[in-house]
Amino acid sequence: MKRRDLFAASLAAGIMGSTRRVRAATPDASAALGRTALHGTIPRIVPVRAHADQIMDIKVCLRPFRPAGPRMDVEHVAGKTVVHNYGHGGSGWSLSWGAAYMAVGHAAATLERKVAVVGCGIIGLTSALTAQRAGLDVTIYTRDLLPHTRSVRANGSWTPDSRIALTQQAGPEFARTWEKMARYSWQTYRDYLGMPGNPIDFRDNYTLSDTAPDAADHVPVPADAAKGTFATTGMPQSSAEFAEYASRISDIIPAPELLAGADNPFPVAYARRTPLMIYNFGAYGHLLLEEFHQAGGRIVIREFHTPSDLADLPERVVINCPGYAARDWWNDKSLIPVRGQTSWLPPQPEAPYALEYKGAAMISKSDGVMIQGYDMYGLGEMDGVGNSFEHPDRAEAEKAIAIIGDLFTRFQLRDG
Amino acid sequence: MTLSFTLRVTFVVSVLVACLHIGQAWAGPHSTAQAGSQSGSGHAVSFSAEQVAHGAQIYAGACAMCHGADLEGGHDVPDLGTYFTARWANTPIDQLAGYISRAMPLMAPGTLPPQDTAALVAFLLHQNGVISATDAPLPMEEARLAKLRFPVPSASSVMGGKP
Ligand SMILES: Cc1cc2nc3c(=O)[nH]c(=O)nc-3n(C[C@H](O)[C@H](O)[C@H](O)COP(=O)(O)OP(=O)(O)OC[C@H]3O[C@@H](n4cnc5c(N)ncnc54)[C@H](O)[C@@H]3O)c2cc1C
Ligand code: HEC
Repeated sequence: MKRRDLFAASLAAGIMGSTRRVRAATPDASAALGRTALHGTIPRIVPVRAHADQIMDIKVCLRPFRPAGPRMDVEHVAGKTVVHNYGHGGSGWSLSWGAAYMAVGHAAATLERKVAVVGCGIIGLTSALTAQRAGLDVTIYTRDLLPHTRSVRANGSWTPDSRIALTQQAGPEFARTWEKMARYSWQTYRDYLGMPGNPIDFRDNYTLSDTAPDAADHVPVPADAAKGTFATTGMPQSSAEFAEYASRISDIIPAPELLAGADNPFPVAYARRTPLMIYNFGAYGHLLLEEFHQAGGRIVIREFHTPSDLADLPERVVINCPGYAARDWWNDKSLIPVRGQTSWLPPQPEAPYALEYKGAAMISKSDGVMIQGYDMYGLGEMDGVGNSFEHPDRAEAEKAIAIIGDLFTRFQLRDG
Repeated sequence: MTLSFTLRVTFVVSVLVACLHIGQAWAGPHSTAQAGSQSGSGHAVSFSAEQVAHGAQIYAGACAMCHGADLEGGHDVPDLGTYFTARWANTPIDQLAGYISRAMPLMAPGTLPPQDTAALVAFLLHQNGVISATDAPLPMEEARLAKLRFPVPSASSVMGGKP
């Protein structure tokens, strides 16, 4: 792969996508990596007010990670055809429409007109809408509606290959499937751009660094042989084991640009800018629910305790979208929790951009300023792996906010 | 108590067995085998291995660029897999062959000779899990195709043993 592709690919992987090892490198090397932004195209940046005393919410979530990739096969249980659609790791929002398209295809092939969807997270909701669009009559059975699901505790941006699978365990066939899902999803999201309330939007994402970014940063760190691998220990042991697929779709994902010298408004030596797709949970979630109801969809609040509970549903086809809860509800012990936390400050619409610095990410959204420490301890993709402590850690939130806060303490407003 | 426990354990075991298939979670668009001979009404559908191979070749050259290597279609192009099966199930096959010969490939409609069209139909049926009833090739003549129907996914394979 060409160096520039590598660079673009790993950036496209997004905030939680890839491990960035900061190493000394020549500026020449970094200059070779991407196009330099046209002079004058960097808008005047309004600093973000990032202070721990502004926290209005801390959200914690477990990414439903399966080493072999999401589960999307068809099973026959309790007299039902069960189409699985769960285990999308750190990529559930991004891949939702593509995954739904595949799952609903299996349901449609049964020729049944009525389908049940279990779960109303982003996977269940997009599966339900996709089924309606295929002409099916849909009832969602769920314990919680979207605002209470793990889905809305995400970061909420385009991160289609974040902790989605382990390269080895998923195999080359999944890479192809991933590509189909990612392309289909990306195109569907475009249908929601430019709408009132901006359910889906873009932000310029500034990736900041004190040392030169270099292609070497993006080469997976070799696995520490002493630690073993998933194959030998049953748990992933290094970032290098996690799949990276983003380069497969670099033809449709906007590439990064370098901000040269005077054009770099940030108090750091290196900055790049990449347009990033974001999900405004409030506007988007309400819109999807509204669409579902308008198309005649029904929601039944119900919790299932064992798979045999499905037997009394009137529908004979079930699309199963329980996310991480499948570990217990469907007894799928291949699900590995990957903990993540976001903190939310009041919306700052005057500062509509995103940035990443020292393992912390900030996205200014319509429903709040999201700050997430995604890699503050140099663990890369291993951050949070195996951790199911789904409870807020205030110290972690303050540490992430301090990284962003410190950046803006050193920020100098430019004249004009 | 004991009884329900036993039931539960039995159930969990069967679920575990089912979970062994997780590794194959990414099967293509054709998840359910359908026997051509089970086609609801009309005659059993047959096609030859040569037709399937020939169809695959034409498909790769003239169709895959739009409909995808795995028949998956896309955001702006219909799939020729699971959704396609639902759209065409039970339809007389002359209508499908007729559509393909009149309208496809989109950039050069009407250019496929009848034997290529038949081969493409055979290939599409095969890829969607239809099992040929005999080795006899799929006919090319409209009148004979009109007696065959696009097979419905078989009840047993779809409904978990329930007829
Ligand atoms: C910190 C963090 C940041 C993330 N950032 C991003 C990002 O930027 N971009 C991205 O694409 N992805 C991101 N993700 C990943 C994404 O959030 C998940 O992949 C996605 O939310 C999974 O959605 P889901 O619908 O499968 O599961 P869930 O949201 O967990 O929904 C499960 C649904 O099933 C229901 N349910 C569960 N069990 C039962 C039962 N027994 N009976 C009835 N109903 C049941 C629940 O009530 C719920 O409605 C992030 C994840 C985390 C943790
Ligand atoms: C240039 C892109 C393109 C190519 C190449 C192409 N198709 Fe299509 N095909 C389409 C589009 C677009 C449609 C939908 C047409 C419409 O709605 O008018 C379609 C529709 C179809 C349908 C009907 C699907 C349904 O369920 O109604 C079939 C069958 C089909 N194509 C088969 C083929 C075959 C076989 C080939 C190769 C010989 C082929 N196509 C080549 C773009 C293409």
